Amino acid sequence: MPLNDILNTDIIDLEVQGTNKDEVLHYMANELLKNGYINDPEVFVKDIYEREAEGPTGMGSNISIPHGKSNSVLRNGIMIGKTVNPIRWESSISEDGFQDTHLIFLFCVSADAEFARNHMMLLSELAGKLGNDVRVTKLSQATTKEEILKLILCDDSELGEVDKLLNEEEIVDLDIDL
Amino acid sequence: MNIVAITACTAGIAHTYIVAEKLQKAAEELGHNIKVETQGSAGIENELTAEDIEKADVVIYAHDIAVRGASRFANKKVVDVPIGTAMKQPKSLIATIEKKLAAK
Repeated sequence: MPLNDILNTDIIDLEVQGTNKDEVLHYMANELLKNGYINDPEVFVKDIYEREAEGPTGMGSNISIPHGKSNSVLRNGIMIGKTVNPIRWESSISEDGFQDTHLIFLFCVSADAEFARNHMMLLSELAGKLGNDVRVTKLSQATTKEEILKLILCDDSELGEVDKLLNEEEIVDLDIDL
Repeated sequence: MNIVAITACTAGIAHTYIVAEKLQKAAEELGHNIKVETQGSAGIENELTAEDIEKADVVIYAHDIAVRGASRFANKKVVDVPIGTAMKQPKSLIATIEKKLAAK
């Protein structure tokens, strides 16, 4: 079943070790290796950095979504990690270009388009779920793997409410051409 | 307002879909109709129809790679922003568009 490939508690880690981005990426790549998702952590991390170089993957709310396509991928999946330490991460959201990351969604996607195709719809559907601020806030507060899995898989209508959103947007005038 | 939007990002794996959802939520919250076409690794999804485009008061491009099928919007008002802007300030984006359209 493809969903179980892409998302399961084997690749959710509540204690990702490391004090900086490089350490946590290597830690997570090794977990993916252990679980049979990739065959070469060095190649995988290099491919992740290639995408990182094209633009920031910190999405605010202390969440980062590093993602790349790699030939080292054996199974498409999304690894979810809560970091033990706050990790300084490039971000398009903050003024100084960096954020503190606590929650990482590491997309593990094959560079082989044919191979990845079956999973792309599912991956995109799951990615879209991170566009919901209530879900993102609840994910940040979640303390068990099962809870994280459930929050990702449930429909928006099943999310319930939160007292305060992590990243409430203040509406301001933007400088746009129209 | 009736809004149509297109999202497209470099790897086509994450931002395209997250921002589509953010624009959808922001528009609904501010009381507008929106349809978002995603141009990502999964191909083109939720493709805009001629009727969607005809009805639209405004078109949003939230992207950092070229938008496919831009000729469809030849006679429309288009707001072109980096995908990061729509990720960070989806509500501000829509509210600003509404203000600017009202002022015309």
